[in-house]
Parts: sequence; structure tokens; C-alpha cells
Amino acid sequence: MNRINKNVILALLTLTSSAFLLFQLYYYKHYLSAKNGAGLSKSKGSRIGFDSIQWRAVKKFIMLTSSQNVPVFLIDPLILELINKNLEQVKNTSHGSTSECNFFCVPRDFTAFALQYHLWKNEEGWFRIAENMGFQCLKIESKDPRLDGIDSLSGTEIPLHYICKLATHAIHVVVFHERSGNYLWHGHLRLKGNIDKKFVPFRKLQFGRYPGAFDRPELQQITVDGLEVLIPKDPMHFLEEIPHSRFIECRYKEARAFFQQYLDDSTVEAVAFRKSAKELLQLAAKTLKKLGVRFWLSSGTCLGWYRQCSIIPYSKDVDLGIFIQDYRSNIISAFQDAGLPLKHKFGKVEDSLELSFQGKDDVKLDIFFFYEETDHMWNGGTQAKTGKKFKYLFPRFTLCWTEFVDMKVHVPCETIEYIEANYGKTWQIPVKTWDWKRSPPNVQPNGVWPISEWDEVIQLY
Amino acid sequence: MDDWKPSPLPKPFGARKKRSWYLTWKYKLTNQRALRRCCQTGAVLFLLVTVIVNIKLILDTRRAISEANEDAEPEQDYDEALGRLEPPRRRGSGPRRVLDVEVYSSRSKVYVAVDGTTVLEDEAREQGRGIHVIVLNQATGHVMAKRVFDTYSPHEDEAMVLFLNMVAPGRVLICTVKDEGSFHLKDTAKALLRSLGSQAGPALGWRDTWAFVGRKGGPVLGEKHSKSPALSSWGDPVLLKTDVPLSSAEEAECHWADTELNRRRRRFCSKVEGYGSVCSCKDPTPIEFSPDPLPDNKVLNVPVAVIAGNRPNYLYRMLRSLLSAQGVSPQMITVFIDGYYEEPMDVVALFGLRGIQHTPISIKNARVSQHYKASLTATFNLFPEAKFAVVLEEDLDIAVDFFSFLSQSIHLLEEDDSLYCISAWNDQGYEHTAEDPALLYRVETMPGLGWVLRKSLYKEELEPKWPTPEKLWDWDMWMRMPEQRRGRECIIPDVSRSYHFGIVGLNMNGYFHEAYFKKHKFNTVPGVQLRNVDSLKKEAYEVEVHRLLSEAEVLDHSKNPCEDSFLPDTEGHTYVAFIRMEKDDDFTTWTQLAKCLHIWDLDVRGNHRGLWRLFRKKNHFLVVGVPASPYSVKKPPSITPIFLEPPPKEEGAPGAAEQT
Repeated sequence: MNRINKNVILALLTLTSSAFLLFQLYYYKHYLSAKNGAGLSKSKGSRIGFDSIQWRAVKKFIMLTSSQNVPVFLIDPLILELINKNLEQVKNTSHGSTSECNFFCVPRDFTAFALQYHLWKNEEGWFRIAENMGFQCLKIESKDPRLDGIDSLSGTEIPLHYICKLATHAIHVVVFHERSGNYLWHGHLRLKGNIDKKFVPFRKLQFGRYPGAFDRPELQQITVDGLEVLIPKDPMHFLEEIPHSRFIECRYKEARAFFQQYLDDSTVEAVAFRKSAKELLQLAAKTLKKLGVRFWLSSGTCLGWYRQCSIIPYSKDVDLGIFIQDYRSNIISAFQDAGLPLKHKFGKVEDSLELSFQGKDDVKLDIFFFYEETDHMWNGGTQAKTGKKFKYLFPRFTLCWTEFVDMKVHVPCETIEYIEANYGKTWQIPVKTWDWKRSPPNVQPNGVWPISEWDEVIQLY
Repeated sequence: MDDWKPSPLPKPFGARKKRSWYLTWKYKLTNQRALRRCCQTGAVLFLLVTVIVNIKLILDTRRAISEANEDAEPEQDYDEALGRLEPPRRRGSGPRRVLDVEVYSSRSKVYVAVDGTTVLEDEAREQGRGIHVIVLNQATGHVMAKRVFDTYSPHEDEAMVLFLNMVAPGRVLICTVKDEGSFHLKDTAKALLRSLGSQAGPALGWRDTWAFVGRKGGPVLGEKHSKSPALSSWGDPVLLKTDVPLSSAEEAECHWADTELNRRRRRFCSKVEGYGSVCSCKDPTPIEFSPDPLPDNKVLNVPVAVIAGNRPNYLYRMLRSLLSAQGVSPQMITVFIDGYYEEPMDVVALFGLRGIQHTPISIKNARVSQHYKASLTATFNLFPEAKFAVVLEEDLDIAVDFFSFLSQSIHLLEEDDSLYCISAWNDQGYEHTAEDPALLYRVETMPGLGWVLRKSLYKEELEPKWPTPEKLWDWDMWMRMPEQRRGRECIIPDVSRSYHFGIVGLNMNGYFHEAYFKKHKFNTVPGVQLRNVDSLKKEAYEVEVHRLLSEAEVLDHSKNPCEDSFLPDTEGHTYVAFIRMEKDDDFTTWTQLAKCLHIWDLDVRGNHRGLWRLFRKKNHFLVVGVPASPYSVKKPPSITPIFLEPPPKEEGAPGAAEQT
């Protein structure tokens, strides 16, 4: 009796629970597929084809951007690399005829796009539509660095990054802003307190670890894996820029403090010098760019940038640094063609090379060539009268982009070490008398040129 | 078998207890029992699985919910940030709360305190006379508007009526009088005060003190009044203390459809008051205008800098007209606010535009000038590819064809180095002196008030030597100086494409505005095709002027040029008059002529090599200064140039002889 009851109850329980279980299974499956449609297909094995989550996310994103007129182009290094390798083949494939997903289906966590902010007309509704399409989006904003140089302006924040996640794949939209000097800038992806640090694996992002600067690329439309995307016309050039794109902002706040203490020189002469120095720097930059020679702001020009974000009016010359391995034999003739005659040439390519060109209005362009050693870098100096050689030692450094007098130029990323090597700890105090043979703390005597070589290593014009 | 196989779940079976029973029936029932047990075990296992799946489902759902919450978080933060701007008392307290309001009115001081926080205090001497009005949000107690109407002076009561009528029903109104508020308080205003329920307001007398708190369209919450005993003395100071019950947020807000635009509108309307129908619940005025695009718009990518101060109502009116102009591109507009003011920024946000605040560093004119510099530099930084910038001020109406006018003329600035700017404003273009919207002039003066600046001019010439803060210069006067202008000219239209409506300003007052700005002609015709734009280039313009002078009829120089009959009653003719002008800077006769023509006479404007061009009675009227002007050669030998004597000093210039 007792037993039968028990069995009946048990059977009943089993029945209800199985019904319940069935319902749950159904619900669970339904819920999963609603949440991320790819969940199931993915669990079937990482099949690489048109139904891969990467491809689907990119497709959705492209649908979104084309319908909302969001001006984006592809900058993902991994995919650009692939496209670049198969550029001819990609160009020849007509729309829709692709049978295999070769590019966008490559397994990865992110696909990076650049957004040209200045071409963007309808910023407002975009976010909501993206979310309605199933993306989970994160927006990272910051103040506008283009207003930093002007005292006491505070404005609407500008978007720097968007990260839109569709299931396991995320689209990283790097917002490119136009800057003075005809280049595009993107900001640092800084996670503020309220942002979910686990939203996506931020460490694996290809852009945003530092702010970056890029030449404004020309774009071309291509069809890849059945999707129409814009990519840089010269993907190779863009890919080469990526690892060296780090940008540092001028220290505008400190520069303002400097001018509060030392007052800016706004005499007619100072204004005139700044103008000609700026023109000379622009001309030099243009000439070197044509030759494909990297250069950076050195000595006084670098100090002017770092300390006061402008040209030091009493410095009387423009100083550039170039790695000796970037030396081209046609540098001198190129400058001469640009209207800058050689003023003097000291040293030789193997040792202590230094060139000086005569610009307009008595402004001189000095180019110092830097030689790399294992633990330091150095450039040389020569005293014309005595043939004495000097060596200026610097800790090793890398190059970063910055903006200076409406130009995108390189400076040493490790600027403070560079400047302190050259000017000592007291670089913040303006000094008008400077003896380049004695004043720099990093100068070392380096012997004398043999008289037999003087004709070659000391050329004055 | 049973012995060594432990029961998986002992509880429901109680297996050990029944061991003897098992043994007894062991053989008989082995098969049946084994089957049953099997079933039972299976059922239990099944139940277990169900429980596990259940738990997993609960966990999953919970995680999903918390994820969804995290996603929603940024938005919540934003709302909170907005909420923080409002007084904290709103939060965490019950829906029905009470504000404790204190209002003080006296001869030399007024103040208003809400819950102990002073929201108005004015005890400055010789300032702030009249009726101070404060509007509070009935749900939050937040100050939405603060105005003072100097109803001792004429027309201020009209402004007050206008303002009070714009305030939404239900808002809390606070009024208090400082010094004198009745002299020009006319019947309309008094009737309005009566309709608000005020007893003393409509009967306000000379030098009375008065404090009032009431709900718009609702009950009066407190009022105090003290009559002035004599003409020479003031009423006793009154201090009104009253409790204002707060209503719920629901009641204070309108139910607009949930769109991006209305979200902006709601944010705006919950913060400020006094913008009329933009916050109307029933039929709010649009905040997005979709003016027709311009075909072949050459100024689509030219940035527009709007220079603003703390005159949010002006800014509101200005932006409305700007955004309604054909060919406007809102994303090119940046509003630069001189100072850390909230309300202008709210107006900018209402229209979804970019706003930048500039923290003050200098005083008065120099401050304006530094603000201009920062704004222009920022504009070219934000739009590094731009070759030009349009510079506007917050007290301008913008003509519907403003951008069309610029689009048709901007190439001149690129092609003609002898040009300094293109301006939408004709200093001499009054109702009675301007006629032809298709006509352009070249002038040696820089009119400002809606103009185009060339980037190269700014970056290479103006910015490096812009007057420093200690110079205390007006930026526009500085730009007009020969060292800056260097003989270059500006292009202007005959009929202005901007209208200067500002009455309150640094160099501006009501009288001055009425005399010099009110009667200015403003183009309202859309899509005007400018005539012969290329004839505005340096050489071509000389040819054009010579042609004009050759066909012009010489007026009767024996008549008084100030008389209306100086020009015949014709239409469409061209007339020329010659006035005396000894040197390039001799404007004695011109100034007198300008005075009697009721055009700009405070300094010389609108001249081109000693020639002025305007319209009189629909005739083109040319004035040539002889002998300084090179066009003097066109003077017939028989004509003696007109000379007008300047009047003795005192009578002459009006009190407000300041520049704008």
C-alpha cells in the first residue's frame, strides 16, 4: 500500500519533471539562439565559412555603416595584410562571385575600422540603431586635444573609440580626427572607472594603446568575401605606419605656465623669426619626405617644442636629427634644389656628419646625423678653426609623432631624457648664451681630425 | 547483488530498515523488484538531472540579466549626471515637498533665497533697478530663469509681459522690486500681474517695495507690499517668507514622443524657462529645420564660428535663424561661449550643436578680443582643411540666403588678393538707402557682423600679432587699422544678409540701437542670384565704377543735399553728387551728409576710393569726394562740390558715440 503510493508519486514526479525538463531545454535553446545566433553553429566546431561569427559581425557592421552613412574604412592589420598579399586577385573578383570566405572569416577577436569623424554627418542616432541590430556598444570619449593649445577652452567631448560587440566578435571603430598638418589622429583608449573591464579582451586591441597619427590615406572600394569595404589605396604604406604611429601631444599646460613665468617675446623680430623658421621647417620636412628620409626635431627646436610648444625666438636656427642609416647621397642636392644652399658640411658619413643649409632671412637649418651604439646614440660636432671633434651622447630613443607649428613631425618619444642629456636638468630656464662646445652636459671631446682630411670633413661655403 | 550495491538515495526507500523483508521475498520477487528498483533509480536520477539543469538555467538567466544591466549602465550614469545639476533635495525625499522661499525688496537691495540658498542678491549701487523676476521649476525648485526689467524706463514692461507670457503654466514665479519699478509699468503689465493673482502688483506705486511669490496660473503663495510715504522716500523694506509646495515631476513635464529631438527638448525645458513655444506641451516649435540644400554649395565645408557671450535668448534666436538658412551644415557650426555659462550651453545642446566655453582671462573689450582670437584659432584647429571661416555673433539674424550669398561670392576671396573679407553687412544699407539684393560693393572698411575670414590671412598675419590682453583693444577696430588692413577691401551686399538685433551689449544700448540698427534693411528673399559677381574683382570693379559714373546724371548741386527733393522723384536712375573732400582722410562733408541722410555717421563706412554708393528713392545714388577721389575726373567743370559745415561741438554727436 505504502509502497504503491510511493511508486505512483515517484512516477508522477518523474513525469512532471520530464515535462519540465523538456520545456527548459526548449527555453534554453531558444534563449541562447536569441542571445547569440552563432552560439550553436559555433559549438558544432570552428567551421570557417560564411556563417562564421566574424564574417557576420563585419557584414552587419557594414550594413549599418552604409545605411547610416558612417564614413568608415578598414584598418585591421591582420585583414589588410591578407588583402594586400592578394590585392590583384581581390580587385579582379567581381562582386558576389566569391565562393570561399578567405579574409573576414579568419579567426580573431576584433576587426578594426577607422571612422573619419570630419565626414560624419549624423552622429546622433547611430548608436541606438547599432544596439537595435544586436550590437552591444561601448563609446569612449575624451576632451578634444585640438583645443588644448588654446588657453582656457573647454568644449564638448569628442568620441575616440567605439567597440561594438556581436556575440564573441567585436568591431573596433577607431575615430580618426583631422589635425592641423594634414594628418589624421586617433586617441588613447583609456578605460575609465565605470567601464566593464571584461567587455572585450582590451589587451588584444590593435589600436588605442597610445594615441596615433597617420597620413591621410587615399581610399579605394573593394569587394572582399562578398562585402564592399573601403581600404587605404596603398595598404602597404598604411600597414607600415601602424607600428610607428605613436603620437605624443605637446605639453600645452606646462607651456602656458612657462609663458606665465617668462612671458612670450612678441616683438616684431620674434614674430618674423618664428615665421621664417616655420617656413624653413616646412620646406625641410617637405624635401626630406620626398626623399623618404626620417627626421626628428633636435636640440633647440626640440627644446622649444617640449618647453613652450613653439619656436624659441632667439634660437636663430632650426635643428633636425637624422639616423645615419637613413642618409642619402642626394640630400644636399635636394635641399639645394629646394632653394637651400649648403652652408657647411662637417665630418663624413662614417663619422660625425653634420650638414648646415642657409635658409631665408638668415635662418640656418642644421642637420645632425645620429650614430647608434648598443647602449647609446651620439652625434658629432666639429670646430672649423681647429679641426677639433666633439661627441654628444644621448640615451637610446625611439621616434614618436607630434604636432608642431601645424606640422606632423617626429620627436624622440623619450623626450625628457633626450632634452636633459642635451641641456641638463635646468632646461626649463631660458638661457640666451649657449656655447655648443662647452654648455651641453653631454658633450665629449673626440680628438682632432687629421689635417689631411680637413678638405673633406670641413667644408665651408 | 542488492547487498553490495548501495542505494543511490537512501531516503525515499529506507532500504536498510526493510532488509528482512527483502530477504524473505528475495527469490520470489527478484525479477519484478529489480525492474521496479531500476525504474525508481532511473526516476531519481532523472529528477536529479532536472534539478541540475534548473539550477544552471537560473544561474544563466541571472548572469544575462546582470550583463544587460551593465550595458545599460552608462546611460544611467548620464541621467544621474543630469540629475546632479538639480538641487539635491529632490532626491530621496517624498514626492510632496515644500520649498522655503524668502524674498526681500527694498530701495538698495533685493535678494531671494530658496531653502536657504541665495539665488539672487543685488545690492550694487545704481544697478538692477526695477522688477526682478525668478522662475523656479515647480517639481525641483531649480532656478530656470532670472531676469530684471527696469520698469522705471520705457518699454521694459513690454519685455516683462512678453517674458511672463512665455513662462509655462505651473511654474513658480518670484518678483521683487529694487529701488523703483512702477514709473513705466503700463496697464497691460498691470493687468498681467492681476491675472497672476497679485493684489499689490497692479497697484504698485512710485518707489513702493513689493515681494511676490505665486504659481503661474495658480494660487498666490505670498505677497508683501509697502507703500512709499512720500515722493522723495521709499517704501519700507519688506521680507516675505513663504512655503512653496513642490509638485511631482510628472506634472512638470510634457509628454512628447520619445525621439532623439524630444530628448534634447526635454533636457532643455526642464532646466530653463523663457524660450516660448519650444517648451510648449501641445504644439512645441520645431528645433530641427531642414532648409533646402543649396545646389552647388561652395560653402558647405566652411566652418561657422558663432561668437557668444551670456545672452542665451539672443543665441537662441540667432541659432534658429542660422539653422533655417538654406545650405547650412550644422556639423560645421561651433558656438564659442565667452565664459563658463550654463544657459547658453543649454541652448547649444538643444540644437545639437558643438559648444565650446572659454574661461575669461581679461576685462571688457580686451576680453572680447581674446575670445575672438581663441575662437578663431580653435575653429581652424578643429577644421584644419578649411580655407575660410564664417564668423557670426550671437545677436544677428541670418538671412535665408546667407549661405547662397557666400557660395556665389567666396571664390572672389580665393582669386583676388586685394580682398580682406566678405561681409554680409552693409553699414549704410538702411531701409531707405538699400534696394538691390543682387548688387555687391567693394568697400575699404571692414563691416564685420557676419563675415568670412581667409585662413591664410588669420594664420599668417593676424594671429601672430593679435592684440595682447593688456592692450584693451576692440578686435574689430584693430582689424580696421591700416597696419592690418593694408589697403585691402571687403565685399558687401547692398541689402544686408544679417540683421543686428542686439540691444543689450558691451557697446550697445536701446537708444543707440534704435538710431543706428533698427531701420537696417535685411534680405528676406530666398535664392537671390547675385549679379555680375566677377565685376567685383579689383580691375573689373574700376571699369564698372567708371561705367556707372559715365552714365550717371549729375544732380543739381545748388539744392540742399539734405532735402528730400535733392533727388528727383524717379525710379531706376543713377545719379551722382560731388562733395568736398580735400584729402584722403577728410570726411567733414560726408559725415554731415550721412547725418542728414540718417545713415551711419559715427565714423566713415562704406567708401571705396572716395566714392559712396547707396540708393535714394529707388535710384542709385553715387557720392564722389572731390578732389581726393580718383573719380573726381568725372566731375563736370561747372559743378562746385558741395560743402557742409560741421555744427558746433555740443549739438552734434549723440551721447552714445561709441563703436560697435
